[in-house]
Amino acid sequence: MSRATDLSIQYATQLQGYGASLPEDFLAAATELEGRLTPADLDAWAAAGIELAGSSLRAWEAAAEYFRASPAVVDRLGFEGTRAWSRIAADLSQRSSLMAAAFLKSTPLMLENIGVDQLEAWAQQGDRLCRGNWKSIALSSLYFQVSPRILQSISFEAAGQVVDIVDNLTERSYELATTCMETAPLLFAALPPTDREPFLRFARAVARASWADIRLYFERGPKLLEGVAPGERPRFLDLASRVTAEVGRQGFPLFSDASQALASLPGELHGGLLAFAERLSIGSPTAAMEYLKSSPFVSSRLNQQQMTRWAEAGAAILQDEHNREGAEAYFRLESSRAEEMLASLSARVELANVNLLLRMYAKALSGESVAVQSAEALVERNIGWVTEASASSDGSAIYLPPFVATFEDQAANFQVYKVFTTHQTARMEFGSFRYEFAQPGAHAPATAAAREGRVADVRAARAAEAGTPSKEVIAPVTSMQRYFNMFDDRSLILGLFTIAEDTRIDARTRVEYGGIRRWLTLLQEHEANHRPNIETMGLRQAFLENVLRASLGKPDTMRFPRSLNEYLKRAVAALKVVELSEATVQDSAEVAAALYDIAYMIPNVPQSMADGKFEAMEENMYAVQAGLPGDGEGSTSSDMPSGEEMEFENPPQPEFRGDFKPELVQLMARLRGESQEGEGGETTPLTREQLMELLANSAELSMGDMGDSEMADIDMMIENFEQAAKKSEGTETSEPQFGSGEGAEDDDGGGGDGGESDLPAQIEWFYYDEWDFRALDYRPRWTRVGERFSEEGDGEFYQETLRKYHGLVMETRRQFELMRPESFKRIKRLEDGEELDLDLALEFYVDKKAGIGPQARIYSRRNKVERDVAVAFLLDMSASTDEEIEKRPQQYDDADDFDGDPRKYFQWLAARRAKSALEPPKRIIDLEKESTVLIVEALEAIGDAYGIFGFSGYGRDNVEFHVVKNLDEQMSDKVRKRIGKIEPIRSTRMGPAIRHTIQKLDEYAAKVKILILVSDGRPQDHGYGRDRTEKEYAVHDTKQALLEAKRKGITPFLITVDKEGHDYLKQMCDDIGYEVVDDLSTLPRRLPTLYRHLAAE
Amino acid sequence: MALATERAGFKQLAVEDFRITEEPYYLPINDEVQLFETAYRENVPVLLKGPTGAGKTRFVEYMSWRLHNRDGLGHAEGVPLITVACHEDLTASDLVGRYLLEGDETRWIDGPISRAVKNGAICYLDEIVEARKDTTVLIHPLTDYRRLLPIDKRGELLEAADGFLLVMSYNPGYQSALKDLKHSTRQRFIAIEFDYPPREQESQIIAKESGVDPAIAMDLAKLAEKVRNLKEHGLGEGVSTRLLVYAGKLIHDGITPRRACQVSIVWALTDDQEVQRSIEEVVSSIFE
Repeated sequence: MSRATDLSIQYATQLQGYGASLPEDFLAAATELEGRLTPADLDAWAAAGIELAGSSLRAWEAAAEYFRASPAVVDRLGFEGTRAWSRIAADLSQRSSLMAAAFLKSTPLMLENIGVDQLEAWAQQGDRLCRGNWKSIALSSLYFQVSPRILQSISFEAAGQVVDIVDNLTERSYELATTCMETAPLLFAALPPTDREPFLRFARAVARASWADIRLYFERGPKLLEGVAPGERPRFLDLASRVTAEVGRQGFPLFSDASQALASLPGELHGGLLAFAERLSIGSPTAAMEYLKSSPFVSSRLNQQQMTRWAEAGAAILQDEHNREGAEAYFRLESSRAEEMLASLSARVELANVNLLLRMYAKALSGESVAVQSAEALVERNIGWVTEASASSDGSAIYLPPFVATFEDQAANFQVYKVFTTHQTARMEFGSFRYEFAQPGAHAPATAAAREGRVADVRAARAAEAGTPSKEVIAPVTSMQRYFNMFDDRSLILGLFTIAEDTRIDARTRVEYGGIRRWLTLLQEHEANHRPNIETMGLRQAFLENVLRASLGKPDTMRFPRSLNEYLKRAVAALKVVELSEATVQDSAEVAAALYDIAYMIPNVPQSMADGKFEAMEENMYAVQAGLPGDGEGSTSSDMPSGEEMEFENPPQPEFRGDFKPELVQLMARLRGESQEGEGGETTPLTREQLMELLANSAELSMGDMGDSEMADIDMMIENFEQAAKKSEGTETSEPQFGSGEGAEDDDGGGGDGGESDLPAQIEWFYYDEWDFRALDYRPRWTRVGERFSEEGDGEFYQETLRKYHGLVMETRRQFELMRPESFKRIKRLEDGEELDLDLALEFYVDKKAGIGPQARIYSRRNKVERDVAVAFLLDMSASTDEEIEKRPQQYDDADDFDGDPRKYFQWLAARRAKSALEPPKRIIDLEKESTVLIVEALEAIGDAYGIFGFSGYGRDNVEFHVVKNLDEQMSDKVRKRIGKIEPIRSTRMGPAIRHTIQKLDEYAAKVKILILVSDGRPQDHGYGRDRTEKEYAVHDTKQALLEAKRKGITPFLITVDKEGHDYLKQMCDDIGYEVVDDLSTLPRRLPTLYRHLAAE
Repeated sequence: MALATERAGFKQLAVEDFRITEEPYYLPINDEVQLFETAYRENVPVLLKGPTGAGKTRFVEYMSWRLHNRDGLGHAEGVPLITVACHEDLTASDLVGRYLLEGDETRWIDGPISRAVKNGAICYLDEIVEARKDTTVLIHPLTDYRRLLPIDKRGELLEAADGFLLVMSYNPGYQSALKDLKHSTRQRFIAIEFDYPPREQESQIIAKESGVDPAIAMDLAKLAEKVRNLKEHGLGEGVSTRLLVYAGKLIHDGITPRRACQVSIVWALTDDQEVQRSIEEVVSSIFE
């Protein structure tokens, strides 16, 4: 009998009391250890196990693990080690048998990574997580369970850090801690070895700064890191750790954004970006991360060298100016400096910035009022144009791509825009859209009529042969349509006509606009160098491509089989016809027809079926003489290669020429003419059928695959067309505006014609910068101001106020009228003038007699001095103006108080109630309104131009600007009603409202301009400052706006009814006039007086 | 030239003695020459309307030269031309005349209009709208069948000599309500409209006046046409032929075309930077 069996019998009773498997486990382990341990050691081993099992209620589970793990542990540690181990386990078991069990179970695996001397430390790590409650015990057991797997990826010390992090989390949420612990092994296994420790370091930083983000980090971190170049990840993580240590809760979001930003950039840039970010992080960790975040946007506009210069400029703000906030705003791209720098460095030219310029340029060249719009706008209208990136024209407007970045230099890219615009206006100027059917050109005879007859015959014969009834011919709508109708392959003829006409336009442009020649040539070369590979094209398509290359002035880039050279030569000769001086669109049409005849003969077979390879032309194509092919030259197609044809597609249009859709433009013109002439027009109105026919057939609509099912699309397009035609009459005066730096201007000049105010919700948007006093820079286009006419109430308020303040109204009017006589001033002592000043004349005569020899300054003249004052009143309509005015004590003076006789109490009370019902409590806004009424009356007497505006809103993108009366609007009942309707709304973002008022005053011509702001308190709004309580930002922005007014020659003045106003007003107004009206009820009286002082200057 | 005093360096003569002795260059665009001659013959006052620099003044000079020796009236060297540039402080006495003190005496001095009336000259009131309204009323009796100039201060009436003709110029471009001609005034004149000449003729004028190469003159005329398209789209007035001639002169003397156009056209026309740039772009499209 073995010692093992003995022992199991010896301890049978002890083992029996516990779980079913315990005796078996014991026996199995003992049997295995029998040979390896001395009997004494074996006894000791068994005793330790039994002791463990009995140490607490569920300790037998730990003992079971002890027995199971022992053979492996003994193997590794020997008996002494095993004893130490069991002691540790026993200690743990004191705390929790569950923990001890997990510890014991994991030990064999764990020992693959750590030595016996670290066992104790390991146990302590787990023990640290245990706080006695069951959640912590579970967590700690979990740690023992997963640690072998964790240690496969990271060092023992690093594992300790994981414990730290998780321990940290337990203070917040055990659930979170558990999740993290569970994910940890897989997480670290998934990370490349070099990233593991940095990852952990950042994790510690995040856990400390914002524990809730740690789960996100564990979940998404590895994925986010994948976007960062492998070698740079530790560096990035360490940067993120440093940043997080400083910025706290923003740390992880910044990390997440920055890594996404890096992911969108090529990996080889990451090193440089991170190096720079590390530099920034010394002064401002936030700036470093913002820099990384902005880099994809910046790099889309700048090359690497420019990007460095851009970043250096930002770094200078941080390092030289020590303006941390400024640098952060700069790298966040929320500063004007950043944008200006970007714009000045960037080679890319945005349409929005040159739109006005190009519009005037186009207007000058074409003589027509053309709008210049982004091509995106044309695409949106859904009338057949689909490419946003290319220039085009619908005959009344020019559409240009939203930006140009063809060359490496801004000036060059602007020239590209100019060439685009010139080409489009040249189409208008030189009549690309004025094709008339069967008219001869300057060089080519008219063959269209003959061709039309021929084609009709052929088609009739074809129909007869096929036995199908000949299709009913629907009368063409335009000349262009009639022309295209003559060709079976409409796509081919459109392609050829486009090439011919563009060639003509280019040639004409060269002659007429010598200055643009250089850039046109440059772009032609650029295009010629970027043509698609001709080798892969079918023969016919290659033919067109070659013609196009010739039309770009680069016939040496033509490639065609030698055997077919003759055709190409004929085509080049034909194309040269349109380059002759005075060639018209009729010539282009004839040339296109001739080219069609040639191209039609050439099958669109792949190069492999042609006789020869695509080779350069034998002859010098530059020397070919212009000439249309004669009738006999259309040789038979017998010498043509044959085979299966490829699908034909027109070669891509050169960018600078843009889309050309003559058929649609002629249709638009026709529709436009119709809607202008109305019913009585001479032309017969188009039928829907005709329109349908045109649109369904036109090759200009790029929907080649449009089946019957998509007829609905055509229907929609027809409607769009009709609308577009109508609209374009109106749009010429009010083209959509592109925001410019200072905020878009409006063209309406005040819209004072009253009619507009009937439309309630018409809001015009304007964009303004906002001053960030920390960054010492503007935040570009930060606020959006919506201007609308105020709603109209009833005129009762106005009349009521007049009645109530009858005396005051009379008085102020009189005072104001007294200001008038200034208008004529007598100027004396003139050498010449309208009247003789008798006194002076006498004096002169006496002096003369006396021989003093004075000067004959004896005339006087009345000089007309016109009062030329414009004033804008800006009323605060914020919610706080809804407050009642404090009741002044004298209203409750003794005489009014109840005298104490109970019999009279109710009588008294009723009287008082009646009184307060008669005079509802007055609010601040009411006083503002009443003052407005008074000042309006006074101003009408003096004749100064004045505007009344109210403002309110919420947030930076919704500043409401209510127009009660525009500067150039006449006083009317409408205005009176609008005054009555002024009501408190929301917040007080003063800056943008002031800026918008400045804009209005600036557009108004007057010598003296005044802006009077009436408010009830400090400026405040959502996001008008760093946080809810910060007041500085708003005050600074308002001050800046007031200074801007001064710079524009406007006198700003601030009136506030906020008694506590003195503190911030002093800061806000500096040397700008302001007044705090202490006694609110005097405001109606005070305002006119103040105005008199201001306007008298 | 009896009164002409000639001294070294300069010539001084009375206004009525001034004659245009050399043919001024004027390219007739329409029938304006014939119209003016007929009006002169029939004593019908003429109003020349048109934008600045379109050739109104040159036309009057040309006519004054051309009308010489008409019907034996004795103006062997042309009809005298007396030009008054009107301004807002121009008073009636500035035109008619005034008393001056000379010692204890006073002496009457005729104003330009009186001199023209006496001498049968063409009196050309340039930019008449600039003058004060009371001044314009003064000329009314001169413009109808009476042909009389009342001189209030002397209590006299001056009868116009044969050959006297009142011509005024007026630029409808500055259409502000304040500065418009009164109907009672404008209905006393026939109006000849001046506009910038068509491209061909304008280039001829530029070439002739500035001596510049015809091709460049053509380009300048083309530029003018383009710039004039911008009128009321940023520009108050189109570019005048006069400015084009200036540009032509600069180019003729060796200034590069782009620079010449910049100083004589772009900057002369407007102070608005956006408009300036637009025009400069047109210039750089036309001139290399």
